[in-house]
Amino acid sequence: MIEARDISVAIGGKRIVSHVDFAARPGEVSAVVGPNGSGKTTLLKALTGELAYTGAVTLNGRDLSAMKPVEAATLRAVLPQSTALSFPFTVREIVRLGLIGGRSGVLPGEDARLPERALARVDLDGFAGRFYQELSGGEQQRVQLARVLCQVWAPVLEGRPRYLFLDEPVSSLDVKHQLIIMNIARDFARRGGGVMAILHDLNLTAMYADRIFVLRNGELAAAGPPADVLNDELIERVFDCRLKVGALPSGNMPFVLPQSAA
Amino acid sequence: MAEQSIAGAPGRAMAADGDRSARARFVIVLLCVALAFSVFLSLTAGASDASAVRVVRDWFTGAMPADAALAARDQLIVYDIRIPRVLLGVLIGAALAVCGAVMQGLFRNPLADPGLIGVSAGSSLGAVAIIVLGTTWLAPVTLALGTLALPLAAFFGGLSVTLLLYAIATRQGRTSVATMLLAGIAISALAMALTGVLIFMADDRQLRDLTFWQLGSLAGATWPKIGTVGPVIVLALSAMPFLSRGLNALALGEATAGHLGIPVQRLKYTAIVGVSAAVGASVAVSGGIGFIGIVVPHVLRLAIGPDNRYLLPASALLGASLLLLADSVARTIVAPAELPIGIVTAVAGAPFFLWILLRKRGVIDL
Repeated sequence: MIEARDISVAIGGKRIVSHVDFAARPGEVSAVVGPNGSGKTTLLKALTGELAYTGAVTLNGRDLSAMKPVEAATLRAVLPQSTALSFPFTVREIVRLGLIGGRSGVLPGEDARLPERALARVDLDGFAGRFYQELSGGEQQRVQLARVLCQVWAPVLEGRPRYLFLDEPVSSLDVKHQLIIMNIARDFARRGGGVMAILHDLNLTAMYADRIFVLRNGELAAAGPPADVLNDELIERVFDCRLKVGALPSGNMPFVLPQSAA
Repeated sequence: MAEQSIAGAPGRAMAADGDRSARARFVIVLLCVALAFSVFLSLTAGASDASAVRVVRDWFTGAMPADAALAARDQLIVYDIRIPRVLLGVLIGAALAVCGAVMQGLFRNPLADPGLIGVSAGSSLGAVAIIVLGTTWLAPVTLALGTLALPLAAFFGGLSVTLLLYAIATRQGRTSVATMLLAGIAISALAMALTGVLIFMADDRQLRDLTFWQLGSLAGATWPKIGTVGPVIVLALSAMPFLSRGLNALALGEATAGHLGIPVQRLKYTAIVGVSAAVGASVAVSGGIGFIGIVVPHVLRLAIGPDNRYLLPASALLGASLLLLADSVARTIVAPAELPIGIVTAVAGAPFFLWILLRKRGVIDL
């Protein structure tokens, strides 16, 4: 389990996250939602050790701050919002970087084929030879996800669950690939791993998350299963927007929900 | 989709798509051959007609040469002038190219170069101080150290700039590469201004020494100098391959490299100390030789890709070869006089670099 107690993060003297409790359990997709600037990414960066924090973060019961980078890397992989590259790497070379730690969890001989398998999972079959910088934003995001998947290919390694941290993994994807990526996340959790995902689409969140953490102004506004958390009152309080949960559009206005996917 | 079916076509026994490691290994083999050729050329070419081949043949066969005096002279030229010079060229060419590649990986910028962050400027200041003030204010230093005073001063000049930069850019155990780059430009300017003051103070003879040294030259190659800087360069360069995977991960950004399990702070520290040691030692004996550090890694990235596991050894080989070739030109083109090698590398390197940029416009994305 990823457990964070009383996490606060200040950047440049300004407190971005204050006193947040968070837990991502193995077997579950834990979604973090909230308006822009509510501290979602900052919370993720604290949980991955990228930003200094006060409070305690544990990964499978071990204190994160006492872990070496390589130890943390065997337990969790992190997908940032976007990744700019300084040199012309091919897609395959980027995905291979996920294998640097050497703990993908597949048999040693299979590591070499893992980049292709990971690319196939994110629907980028045949992209291995392309230059990363020549791809579209959505394709780049999926290449990075393939890299992240390589790092923790087996959701459970040596009996210990592993975790995916995904910062807006579907933000620049079309609807088909949003579903593909969210299915990968759910599958990772079903097979025993844990997922923390920052999401903006409340419908996708309701569909895929086992547990939702709602942030507002750096504080935890609500936490729990989607059915308990997503209600009219919370949405108005957190997002400052009067919306009705479960209300159909009037007349014959078309609407398309991810839940309708066959 | 068409690409996919071609890649999957049977009978195509190629490496996996997007995997350039086979090509990289092939290029490294080619570069080994090129270096052997360059070494041979450098040993045989020169202002004198001494025959390196004959010296080596006599040495192997134990034959007594017909003209003993001539043979002794040739032996002297080959053993005491050409071999140390070739060794120095290999060491410095490799050091400059590898340090360029490492700096570029560290700063995530294909334009980064030891010259950019002030290491070279610091080394120059140290060396110029010895040349100009060696007989007056710094006389005790030059008396105590003799001919080693200049290399040591250059070395410590480079090292102190690097340590100063590191201190400025490090806050709470994290080194900001951007701060370091900007501070490096400022410190470079300061070091060059101080060097300018010293040049202003210099007399005519010192000025000539200065000019020659600033343009770079391998002319000072002697066995004692190789004994001083050789171990430093060899030690620093042999640490670099251990950084290659970390530098690859760093291309994704420092945070992501950390998430992949790379100890980023230690990587930066090792790279910076290694580069300043190797560059300080190089500048100390040969002055400022430009373009090798930028052109070599850049050309190789176009040929074999940016994977540092191959880029670093390939840079060492190509850097060494190119510097030897440039030195051969510098020694022979105006023989018996010789041109500063920095002029040769700049005259050949700058247009070549521009040509690459024009030809590959769009592929190189700064």
